[in-house]
Amino acid sequence: MIKKEQTFAIFRQAKPDVESSYERFKVPLTPGMTILEALFYIQDNYDNTLAFRYSCRGAICGSCGITINKFPQLACKTQVYPIENKKHVRVPNLIFGEISDWNPENEILIEPLPNMKVIKDLVVDMEPFWKFYREVKPYFDRQIKDEAPESNQSFEDARKIEQMVYCILCGLCWTCPVSGKKKDYLGPAALTKAYRFIDDTRVTEGHRKEIFDRAIAHDGVPSCEKIFACNAVCPKGVMPGTAIDKIREEIK
Amino acid sequence: MFYQNLDNLGWFYSLKVEEFDVLIVGGGLSGLRVAFELADEWNAALISKVHPLRSHSGAAQGGINAALANTEKGKDDTPEKHAYDTVYGSDYLADQDAAMFLAKEAPKIVVELESMGAPFSRLDSGLIAQRPFGGAGFPRTCYAGDRTGHALLHTLYEQCIRKRVKFFDEFFLIDLIKVGNQITGLISLDMNTGELVIFRSEIIVLATGGFGRIYKRSTNAIINTGDGLGAAFRTGIPMQDSEFVQFHPTTLYGTNILMTEGARGEGGLLLNKDGERFMSRYAPKAMELAPRDIVARSIETEILEGRGFEDGYVHLDLTHLGREKILERLPGIREISIYFAGVDPIEKPIPVQPGQHYSMGGIASKFKGEFGETPLNGLYAIGETSCISVHGANRLGGNSLLETVVFGRHTGRLIAKRGKQKLISLKEKEKAENSSYQMVESLFKEWKNNTGKKPVEIRTAMKNSMDINVGVYRAETRLQKALKDLQQVQKDFKNMQIETDERQFNFGLIRALELRNMVDIAEVTAFAALWRKESRGAHYRVDYPKRIDKEYLVHSLVSRTKDGLVMETKPVTLGIFDVKERVY
Repeated sequence: MIKKEQTFAIFRQAKPDVESSYERFKVPLTPGMTILEALFYIQDNYDNTLAFRYSCRGAICGSCGITINKFPQLACKTQVYPIENKKHVRVPNLIFGEISDWNPENEILIEPLPNMKVIKDLVVDMEPFWKFYREVKPYFDRQIKDEAPESNQSFEDARKIEQMVYCILCGLCWTCPVSGKKKDYLGPAALTKAYRFIDDTRVTEGHRKEIFDRAIAHDGVPSCEKIFACNAVCPKGVMPGTAIDKIREEIK
Repeated sequence: MFYQNLDNLGWFYSLKVEEFDVLIVGGGLSGLRVAFELADEWNAALISKVHPLRSHSGAAQGGINAALANTEKGKDDTPEKHAYDTVYGSDYLADQDAAMFLAKEAPKIVVELESMGAPFSRLDSGLIAQRPFGGAGFPRTCYAGDRTGHALLHTLYEQCIRKRVKFFDEFFLIDLIKVGNQITGLISLDMNTGELVIFRSEIIVLATGGFGRIYKRSTNAIINTGDGLGAAFRTGIPMQDSEFVQFHPTTLYGTNILMTEGARGEGGLLLNKDGERFMSRYAPKAMELAPRDIVARSIETEILEGRGFEDGYVHLDLTHLGREKILERLPGIREISIYFAGVDPIEKPIPVQPGQHYSMGGIASKFKGEFGETPLNGLYAIGETSCISVHGANRLGGNSLLETVVFGRHTGRLIAKRGKQKLISLKEKEKAENSSYQMVESLFKEWKNNTGKKPVEIRTAMKNSMDINVGVYRAETRLQKALKDLQQVQKDFKNMQIETDERQFNFGLIRALELRNMVDIAEVTAFAALWRKESRGAHYRVDYPKRIDKEYLVHSLVSRTKDGLVMETKPVTLGIFDVKERVY
């Protein structure tokens, strides 16, 4: 039987550091409706103050990471019906607020990203995430020039970093329990970004070493506990944990 | 940062003011490139309603054009040929000096992006690879897989981090502020705190992107609502060439997510429900790689004449390319098809239909001014929000990423050359800022007290009318209907109700402010489409199927006066290439 309506239980918090609650909304279903579209329906029709981030709705901008039925995902590429209840042995039990009456059979539970501070509803403070990103100095430090020829890079060497280049910095990988307990841990995204540059044949030796040294400091690679929750939740197949492992291999 | 006392409100209230030598609005490729240029020497700030990496530049897939002439197939390619293809593709509405500048800068810009670290796909020789694209005489589209925009956006953002550019993320541009004919700043909503904040500067660059969300069926990000264009229009700057809306031929059926032209560049075929390669009837030479306007019309005709699949789509078939090539060249397309349509293109054709994709028109550039300069002193507009005009009546694939970076760099350098400026007294600026502030406050109060429709009803009415009446094929009666609908939309908008007291991350309020921009843009688009009684590029009138150079080889300029919308025109800069008929 085709379902006509879906109930959502949504995490609400008016501002930082105040009590949270869950609010329920019923949304009429349309074919192929995504969680993001359902959130817009609620914002448009029930409560225009419901806060969540969004932009491209095509899984490339990295804005709409949230937790859906206890599994961090992008709202735009997750279908409401039938909902695929993702589970993974490496993803820890995520607790945001008190919702003992949640009925997983009939209700889709919507919560913010884990291990980040809530600013309002589903909007979290990503500044710590960006701070660690900036800390690994994720950029080329060469002299910028615009005269041909371009620098040479083999087909294979370009392909090698592609998977990491595809990282959209959505923050889902902060599901990592270490990111939860160690507030100074650089985290999977920043370390993957570091390896994207370490492994790029065009990066200068000096800068490569600088990035590498930052990545292997105590709050970087050594803090990773090889839980691989990051690999389990990554929506783009970037495999941050594997990148961290590769840096670890290079330490030897 | 400092606070300004608003005495005339009758009680003490402080208004937050940030002052800079130059302000850039928009964090996509255009804005980032300006910021990069000015970061060393200038007190510059970039404000954006989203984190810059969430900008729509990141969704561009296929690539960036440059006549690098680094392969056997492309060795005879030149910037002049690139400029010619661009002008020909534009159906001669592009300003030829601008198109030539774009093409000549292209190889430099691509090499520059590479030196910044852009992860371009490579040839066996180790040089930057190039793929064929529609309307181009040579394979000249440089790419990073099928996520070129994403790769370039991250690269330029990284360089801005290197340069320590000052970013104000999640600040929404509400209105521009001017004194006489000089820009002096803007008023914004700090989404994080809910405060209104004035940014003061006598030089502002608008790089706020496109406005495809005036349509329902669009490839555009939800944030593409023309905020810079709307604000510029309200200061009296005309909208130029807004009737020229690019409909991308291949958007995913259902969600209208972009399926790159690169898919056809790599050999993808378009098939109707009889399995026929129908492009042979419309563009026998160029086939699937005819320019976008022609392919979009061909698909639309197939559907209208009953040769599409049931609900109005055709097939984009990649199955014959084989698993290897799809995984290497089009991995993003495969991922999108699987997630958003449940189709793996390795095994099955992708269902596609035309959808709004790009706006050739935008903020009018100054006649005989520098590229990107608007009629309002100190205000520049670049990228999709501008109309410089390099795309004329139809943009070629691979030219939009190019435009952003070329004119970003150009405008940055132009501003640096012209130097800092302070022409207006502080007193006059404060007066203009205070009245802007009070206007916004009273607007919010009005919206709260209104008893009319909700934004969603008004937005839906606008989008529906645009989809139905201002689409791929246009005609007098439909356009009249659109204009009537959109005038009603304007009326409904004036009486729109929405809660405005709670302002911190109130995205409902943000989307109402976006709608404020879109209702104007939609109305102007319909108005200009009704005025242009000819067919040129993306603007196709079934009642006027021919191009009429004698009357219409001009840019349209629409402004609002107290008597309503008025049309003026501006000559097209010619003189490099002769105006000819366009056939593929």
